[in-house]
Amino acid sequence: MKPPLMIRNIGLRDKFVVVVSLVIICSMTIIGGYLISRQNEIYREELDNRGRALVANLAYNAEYGVILESEADLEDLLKGIARADDIIYAVICATDGRILADIGDKLYIDATERLPDDGAAVGADRVERHFMVSAGGTEFIEMRYPVQTKRQQISREQLGIVFDAQAGPVEYDLETIGEARVGLTLDNLKREVSRSQTAAILLTFMVVLSAIIIMTAFVRIITQPVKSLVDLTDQISKGDLSKKVAVVHHDEIGLLGESFNRMVESLKKSQLEIEEYNRTLEEKIIERTRELEDAQTQLIQSEKMAGIGQLAAGVAHELNNPLGGILGYAQFALEKMDKKDLDNLTIKDYQAFKRYLRDIETQTRRCKAIVQNLLKFSRSSSKVEFQDININEVLEETLTFTEHQLMMNQISLRREFDPKMPLIQGNPGQLQQVFTNIILNGLHASPSGSELAIYTRYLPPLGEFPGAMEIAFVDQGHGIEEENLKKIFEPFFTTKEVGKGTGLGLSVSYGIIKEHGGEIKVKSKIDEGTTFTVMIPLEKTLSAVDKSKIEP
Amino acid sequence: MLSATEKSILIVDDEEVMREFLSDVLEDFDVDKACDGQEAIDKLKTRTYDLIITDMKMPGISGEEVVQFAKESHPGTKVIVISGYSSLFSVGNTMGYGITAFLAKPFSIKQIRTEVEKSLSAPSGANA
Repeated sequence: MKPPLMIRNIGLRDKFVVVVSLVIICSMTIIGGYLISRQNEIYREELDNRGRALVANLAYNAEYGVILESEADLEDLLKGIARADDIIYAVICATDGRILADIGDKLYIDATERLPDDGAAVGADRVERHFMVSAGGTEFIEMRYPVQTKRQQISREQLGIVFDAQAGPVEYDLETIGEARVGLTLDNLKREVSRSQTAAILLTFMVVLSAIIIMTAFVRIITQPVKSLVDLTDQISKGDLSKKVAVVHHDEIGLLGESFNRMVESLKKSQLEIEEYNRTLEEKIIERTRELEDAQTQLIQSEKMAGIGQLAAGVAHELNNPLGGILGYAQFALEKMDKKDLDNLTIKDYQAFKRYLRDIETQTRRCKAIVQNLLKFSRSSSKVEFQDININEVLEETLTFTEHQLMMNQISLRREFDPKMPLIQGNPGQLQQVFTNIILNGLHASPSGSELAIYTRYLPPLGEFPGAMEIAFVDQGHGIEEENLKKIFEPFFTTKEVGKGTGLGLSVSYGIIKEHGGEIKVKSKIDEGTTFTVMIPLEKTLSAVDKSKIEP
Repeated sequence: MLSATEKSILIVDDEEVMREFLSDVLEDFDVDKACDGQEAIDKLKTRTYDLIITDMKMPGISGEEVVQFAKESHPGTKVIVISGYSSLFSVGNTMGYGITAFLAKPFSIKQIRTEVEKSLSAPSGANA
């Protein structure tokens, strides 16, 4: 059960103070009350005893005064009594109630009896105590004692022989001849009690006050380190680990402070370690990323080189044809020149030489173009440079090397290129790599006599569609199994024999097309063929010139 | 040296420069040219040649098929294969048809002349 909100919000010190004060007040009240009532009792008893002695004494001494009804004697007697403490008045009455002598305050003497029933004899003697209340409302005690005298009982026979020693003991009767009354004030008693009460209250107050002061100081001693701990925790939670707890006392709080300091110290250490770790981690990440990028670049390059290796035959054929022409015509020309003297050369010969040279020139240019094309393809693309390209041209360049390869395998090639392909931003070397890869894959999967068709299509922007180039490669090969179709773009996935393929071609192609913001998809049916479709979006890659042409 | 005009040669190559060069070199012979396999077969259907010089890899009908057709229709025809590829398969496959020589492009004038002379002087109908 939760304490009420009010109590929950009170500080530790205030709680202590309230509890301790309550305990002190309660115990002081109990102890003080007991002591005061005890004191009251003792005082009253003493007053009783004193009053009793006084009244008894008075009554005894008043015997002859009463018998003689001598007011003067009795007044002397009373004067003596009145000197005692707490005496308000003293009266001696006759049995009929007549006041024979009195001293003191008349007002009290005439007071009415407040509790007449209390007049029972106190103790074994005949002192009566009465609680009285004066006309002024003041309470007091009245002690009464009968004035008695001895009266000898003398029988008739005994009359006259008063001093007869043989007559046996004389018998006496005690006869009441009056009454002594002494009024005792309760003022002193009450004053004493009230003084004690005041003292007790004062004492309690002082004890509570000093308790509060001690408590406050004590609580401060306890809470101060706790509070500084709290403040410190607050600062630490905000990330400031530079502060420390000042350990003054080696008590529990001090131990807590020490262990707190140790905690902060290890926290600081951990934080430093984490920072250090983070820093090195960042460096490591940068380093690894760079390594990874390098590896990726190298991978693309390696895959491309592997592709070039596969193209070698095509390249050789491409080069050998013009080289054959060059070699042949050069030799032929030399031969002809050797056969005939310069003087015997006819116009016809001259024209023939010219033709040979023109052919040599043409074929040399062809070789140059092939070599350049190959260089363009194989150039390392560590830094991908985008330029304005026409997809159809890139495809034609790709086919320079692959067409003969297809022909060699008796695979006919069909081109259906959309003539309205706008320029896009792209990397021709990388795209050639992708197209070569797809074409060679198709080639390896196709039987002799089948056809490979390459379609290009421009899809203009329409609403949300940004516009794209679609390049489709449709072969009539044996198709790809459905389970392999899912893995076809995964790195190192290959269905070819070990050593025949890197298994990276399509995954690298996938990466390249992604880099162009495009997509690559594959559809396949077993024994019917496979279609690879590459989509390269126009968005952001469209050059300004073309855009004006396309958009009406 | 043989009388060149007596002998007929068919040059089959999709490369124009090769066709022209060969016809220039072999100008002393009765030279005919075909730019692909189909044209060669069409020509072979109408007449016979003493020698066929053919490329192997051509669009459509390959050199292999041309050789096969020529040998079947006229077994005495001599065949020289010229190719940009020095593939064992492309040579091996045609060996069965009794080709006389194989020349890898680029070849020298001397090479082609030697092979042409060798082929034409060999006994007719002989299977090499």
